[in-house]
Amino acid sequence: MKGNGVGKEGKQIFSFTRVFLFISIIIVTGLIFISSCTKEYEFTMGQDFFDSQTRLQVIDTFSVNLSTVLLDSLKTSATKIALAGNYKDDIFGSVNVGAFFDLGYQDFEDIEDKATYDSAAFSLKYTGYSYGDTASLLKLDIHMLTEKIEPYSGYLYNTSSFDYSPEVTGTVSFYPAPESADTAVYIPVNALGEDLFNKIRENDENLSNSEQFSDYLKGFIITSGSPDNKSVIGFTADKDNLKLIIYYHVDAEEPEKKKITLSMGQENHQFNSVKFDHTNTPLNDIEAEGNVIPSSRTDNYGFLQGMVGLIPKLQFPSLNEILAIRRWKILKAELVIEPVYNSYDLFGLPQQLYIYDTDRENRVNTILLDDKGNPLTATLDYDDLNEEEVQYTYDITKFINNELSDAYFDYDHGLMPGLADDNFTSTLDRLLIECKNPPVKLRIYFLTY
Amino acid sequence: MPRLVKTSFLIILLLLSWADIFPQSTSSPYSIFGIGILESNSVGPSKGMGGTGIAFLSEMSVNSMNPASYSGLDSLLTIFEVGIFGKYSSFSTVHDNQSTVNANLKYVLMGFRVNPWLATSFGFSPVSSIGYNINATAPIEGTAQEYLETFSGTGGVNQLYVGTSLKLLKNLSLGVNAAYLFGNITRMESSAAFDYSYKDVTYVANFDFNYGLNYQLNIKKWRYNLGFIYSRSKDLRTRNTTTITTATGTETLKEYTYNYSIPQNIGVGLAVSKGFFRAGIDVERSDWKDIEFSNIYFQTRNSNRYSFGSEFPLPGDRKGTGKMIFLRFGGEYRQSYLLIDNVPIDGGTITLGTGLPLKGTLNAINIALELGRIGTTKRGLIRENYVGLHLDMSLRDLWFRKRKYD
Repeated sequence: MKGNGVGKEGKQIFSFTRVFLFISIIIVTGLIFISSCTKEYEFTMGQDFFDSQTRLQVIDTFSVNLSTVLLDSLKTSATKIALAGNYKDDIFGSVNVGAFFDLGYQDFEDIEDKATYDSAAFSLKYTGYSYGDTASLLKLDIHMLTEKIEPYSGYLYNTSSFDYSPEVTGTVSFYPAPESADTAVYIPVNALGEDLFNKIRENDENLSNSEQFSDYLKGFIITSGSPDNKSVIGFTADKDNLKLIIYYHVDAEEPEKKKITLSMGQENHQFNSVKFDHTNTPLNDIEAEGNVIPSSRTDNYGFLQGMVGLIPKLQFPSLNEILAIRRWKILKAELVIEPVYNSYDLFGLPQQLYIYDTDRENRVNTILLDDKGNPLTATLDYDDLNEEEVQYTYDITKFINNELSDAYFDYDHGLMPGLADDNFTSTLDRLLIECKNPPVKLRIYFLTY
Repeated sequence: MPRLVKTSFLIILLLLSWADIFPQSTSSPYSIFGIGILESNSVGPSKGMGGTGIAFLSEMSVNSMNPASYSGLDSLLTIFEVGIFGKYSSFSTVHDNQSTVNANLKYVLMGFRVNPWLATSFGFSPVSSIGYNINATAPIEGTAQEYLETFSGTGGVNQLYVGTSLKLLKNLSLGVNAAYLFGNITRMESSAAFDYSYKDVTYVANFDFNYGLNYQLNIKKWRYNLGFIYSRSKDLRTRNTTTITTATGTETLKEYTYNYSIPQNIGVGLAVSKGFFRAGIDVERSDWKDIEFSNIYFQTRNSNRYSFGSEFPLPGDRKGTGKMIFLRFGGEYRQSYLLIDNVPIDGGTITLGTGLPLKGTLNAINIALELGRIGTTKRGLIRENYVGLHLDMSLRDLWFRKRKYD
């Protein structure tokens, strides 16, 4: 057996391991040296020596066909917002929103013999959402339902409705202050309150269990109380904030004030119904046309509005032309949407738009996703100073490349710029776009080589 | 011989892994042309002497410039050399100044004497290298905008060689290096903003032979050596692939062959030595004129290289012992084979070096500082001023003698 250079003579002889170690150290040192010294420089010298083999070009003249689709129905239940009011303008027409809800049953405590009824009111808290002109007086009425709220397989829609008594149970007129989250709006319902107070005191059998309670008190609708209203206001719809309060006092030497609170019932029994009328607006014929109408018949406009269910549809008839170019790669495809100038003074613009793909049947199909798997959005670019370049830009590179990957672009496969799901079902947020001046643009950056 | 087999095997393994991990890199905008910046094949002590070495015999170091030199190797020693080179360059045009830093493992080689008339060497070293990363503005056609396009190049040609030297007469040696040239030349244009890269990769390979001769004349205590080297013009076999990569994937656009040529090379050197002193001069000529490149920006011409250098021990107690320290100096002038707009890109360097003994008597470290200038700022061209540091580890071992003791 010979050790690695260990032995009498081995002292002078470098063992292989030592040499190997030595080399390793050199290499490691070299590596450290290299990594610590090599930097990426912004080096620009020598650019004259190159002839680029590639050309980057932009085309933004692809035609975009714009139409507006009216969706059959939108789920509006359990959105935690109760909307009521009405508004009318010459472009989007009139919209009238009513909030349906019911009250939850409770085991009422006995009321003292010496108690005297005072008053009753529904208490509403602002969500902060408003649509229209909040500087005008708003009149809201509350009616009692004559049928129970029953969701269809769990949901209720903007088109759903339940019968209610024409008789007004309570009414209120006020100047809305949607920013004041702490201020409550009260709708006095004294007669209803007194009736309930007496039934509770008498342990009326209508209040003896949840079944009989909901037969007796089927639910309510807050509706617009006047065609002159100029706004729709949002109120928080949950058990803590939407409630009926009955006030009474107990007679004694020092009168004691008391109240009974009835809170909102099941969340999915709460929904907003939307009535709209497009008569004498550019959208006059949309329903007659089968809920889809090209922009050529709507003054070149395309309409987006939540809760009503208006959504623009974009199609790209000339995109196939790019296939005629011999060697190309699409590097970037942008969809640029500019709101119609002066169409958003009163309403503001959605801060963010989403986008969905659609088909021949005008269905809102899947939402487009970005590279990270999040919904693809376009954020509003807004230049306060000169109001130019107010626009939304989507990066739809992936969509376009997927569509063209089979060397054919399907015209029926269009895109629908829309609101986020929540906003689409719980706000009247709107956007007006057009196919002329400035049109919706498809801007394609492509490389030829 | 099992130890030799094991050693060789491990060295080859090391070389292969190195070839993968350490692609040669340089950093010069001039490396975009042809097969890139040509690398000097001088080793160790020659680096301190302006790259001079055609007439030097390999003594304590392997001189792969001239394969005939291996015959000078000490019959007892196996020499193992590793070289690293680091460089700081400042590039200037008439109105701009930019700098780069880079460092590389340059060569690994080994040499030993087999018997009194036969010596051999093998190793790995670069022939040329390409390295640039240049940002240029390009128009976005159809808009008034511009974007940043990056031109980058990496790779180079390497050689794996085996050399043999035969001592024909007492004073005359002949040698040949059989080299396998291989590598890739990768040129790319890309944009980070638009996420694409257009890449052209050329894989090159071929065998090459370099011949050498060394004749020694002894007059009194002086030795005179005459060296001669020659290699034929050679076409490199190539395989090119052009691809384009975007977010949707990579597509191969074309596969073709394009001949890169390496020209005929002739060199003559003269050296004088006495004791531990030596000095030499080299003249080398490469016939690039006949070689055509399909690049409209430059023309080729025959290029010459001239160099001189000297080495002497530091006087004092250590002289003549294993702890002796050498000092070296030299200079080199290299005519470019490139003419850009008829302007040559010539370069000159001066070198200062030292050879330091390491622990024990057998190992040494050679350090050389190189100050150089390449090119000109005339006609909008680029001048490079650089400071380079060569680090050469010379391991000397009695490996193959050990058997006799066992």
